Amino acid sequence: MRSLLNFLLRHKTLILFLFMEGLALFMLSSSHNYHQTVVSNSARSISGRLTEKVERGRSYFRLKDVNEGLARENLLLRQRLEILQIDTVTPFIAFSDTVRKLNYSFLDARVVNNSVSRQKNFITIDKGRDDGVVNGMGVACSEGILGIVVGVSRNYSVAMSLLNLDFRLSASIAHNDYFGSLTWDGRNYRNAQLSEIPHHVTVTPGDTIVTSGYSAIFPPGLMIGTLTGDKKKGGDFVTLKVELSPDFKKLTHVFIIGSLNKQEIRSLEEEVVNE
Amino acid sequence: MNSVLRYTGIFVVLVLLQLLVFNNIQFSGYINPYVYVLLIIILPLSMPSWVVLIIAFLAGFIIDAFSGTMGVHTFASVMAGFVRPWIISLNMTHEAADPDISPSVQNNGLRWFFLFAIMIVLVHHLALFYVEVFSFSGFFRTFLRVIVSTLFTTFFILLLDMIGWRR
Repeated sequence: MRSLLNFLLRHKTLILFLFMEGLALFMLSSSHNYHQTVVSNSARSISGRLTEKVERGRSYFRLKDVNEGLARENLLLRQRLEILQIDTVTPFIAFSDTVRKLNYSFLDARVVNNSVSRQKNFITIDKGRDDGVVNGMGVACSEGILGIVVGVSRNYSVAMSLLNLDFRLSASIAHNDYFGSLTWDGRNYRNAQLSEIPHHVTVTPGDTIVTSGYSAIFPPGLMIGTLTGDKKKGGDFVTLKVELSPDFKKLTHVFIIGSLNKQEIRSLEEEVVNE
Repeated sequence: MNSVLRYTGIFVVLVLLQLLVFNNIQFSGYINPYVYVLLIIILPLSMPSWVVLIIAFLAGFIIDAFSGTMGVHTFASVMAGFVRPWIISLNMTHEAADPDISPSVQNNGLRWFFLFAIMIVLVHHLALFYVEVFSFSGFFRTFLRVIVSTLFTTFFILLLDMIGWRR
């Protein structure tokens, strides 16, 4: 007993070291559902408040860009409105999204924390459970999609950024509707990769990549980015390089997208699979 | 007792500096200086290694909790704290004569402090970046990030030390 005690005392540094590294790795490995852990939740609400203050100051320097973006969006909406008004005159146009058949709801929010330099980036937003945000909702800005909500506290939520090695989303080429899987390879924060596109599909640089709407997170047709023209062949498919249209380094105003039919779609799909 | 209080003050200031200022600095989207490693560097050379480990753990844990990267910084800091005694014995020259004072450019000379700091930062960043990616695929790209970030962090650490921010 005494020799055991002596042994432990003699190697206390090594034992402490191994114990702490073990603890760190444990925290790391359970970080996929760390949003539920108490420690990080309370730390997040403190740091959320703190970074919100800093962000409020920094957002002043971005007002010019934000204004330009809003003006551009206004113009776009006005153009769309024009088209809609013309359409209503012509017969045989049926609008699927009437008041009763809305598919998605939107909520505006502000970014309080964001990173692009890590391999696994997250975006913190100032809307939380009290505002109706739940896990699995989409986050986008007027330029394009940004990420998916993975953690929610009372007043804040954390979204897994598109710039995260674990991010995966079904996306399609706008003009021919071929869809593939959109991921980020951890290199440049301006580029993402669209994989699983068959060889015979012809693409040209500048083609628009949009959401496919298959996962019921984002509505179909939301902007993601444009093709740069670089492609990588491997097996039966090619991987295309996508230049992301939102600049992840200057995010301020975003909106959260909730699908109203996701539950129904998911339960139907599960029902079929289980049979 | 006085020095414990002073170190606690330095601890708080450095952690705040890291979270509010340096976490917002990004060079070319890749490089993010982690100056809080200075907390491990400026502990007196004579400090028992298990105390160093506990302080390193606390520093890493706080940075982790506030930047939402559970475990990554904790792992790297503890690793840096653990290898510190070996780095000290590697650098055991006459410049490190008084083991009871806290290492700095003023106390130990620029050359000694630079070598000591860059070695600890390198170990910290090696652990940090490889644990963050958690794979050896893209080994050389991660290695490049380690080297460049090490240089930047060491630069800022020397700068902070030279402007005498501790006083």
